[in-house]
Amino acid sequence: MFDIEFNSLAEALLMQSQNGQNHGIYVWSVVLIVILCISISFVFYKYKIKEISKKIK
Amino acid sequence: MFQVNRAYPYIFYLSLITYLLSIFWGLFLTPEDFVQGNSYRIIYLHVPASFISQSLYLAMAIASAVYLIWKVKLSVYLVRSIAPIGAVTTFIALISGSIWGIPTWGTWWVWDARIVSTLILFIMYLGLISLHDSFNNNEKADKFLSILVLVGSVNIPIIKMSVEWWSTLHQPASITLSEKPAIDLVMLYPLFGSIIGFTGLIACLVILSSKLQIIKREKNKSWVKDYV
Repeated sequence: MFDIEFNSLAEALLMQSQNGQNHGIYVWSVVLIVILCISISFVFYKYKIKEISKKIK
Repeated sequence: MFQVNRAYPYIFYLSLITYLLSIFWGLFLTPEDFVQGNSYRIIYLHVPASFISQSLYLAMAIASAVYLIWKVKLSVYLVRSIAPIGAVTTFIALISGSIWGIPTWGTWWVWDARIVSTLILFIMYLGLISLHDSFNNNEKADKFLSILVLVGSVNIPIIKMSVEWWSTLHQPASITLSEKPAIDLVMLYPLFGSIIGFTGLIACLVILSSKLQIIKREKNKSWVKDYV
């Protein structure tokens, strides 16, 4: 259950499936989009709160 | 607000760790899917976003009803705070679904009932934000926002049932309350973990967004000046 499915980093990046297609490009683009969206949202709200707090002070 | 502030770092770090571990588990430790190959691993990012985008709208609908019935100001602040986060999660659900569609269906977009109803949800989130910000009178804006959220909530059961009511490319739900999951347990555990972790992270964003909304709307009150 806890064996790593890929033998090397390159394999993990490519994620070649049994039908020969490389699915890494799809999986890693989604990972990147999710990380970007969530991090930008956190940074945005932290910045906005800091900005408005400064104005009120 | 003070109690929430104290709980915030615990919720944030616990959710982040749960989410990252579950994603790692799903991406590297689960076996390849027999039909979809490795592209199925997108499930660990797509399903939590999809689930949250609909849950956030339900939360908005409940908060809107509370505002319209009992005139609780905080509930409408919550509605306005959730809307942009709902838009972000729906955007993630749409984009990840489209990317998943390329290797699975051979196309990134089809005018399929599930996808179109999710697109409508995304447009609704953006519309609600624009509508609220277009008013000069806050009370009027709050009232219209709450009414429109309640009207739009009809889309949520449509999204949920679209795969049952119409013949769609999108697969039916793999996890239901009444039946045995259609997904193997080895793949299911990290999926649950990613849903829990993602929910916690989004809860943290809602806390931040609500904080901003409360400070903005109550900036002339003395307690806000003391708080900041």
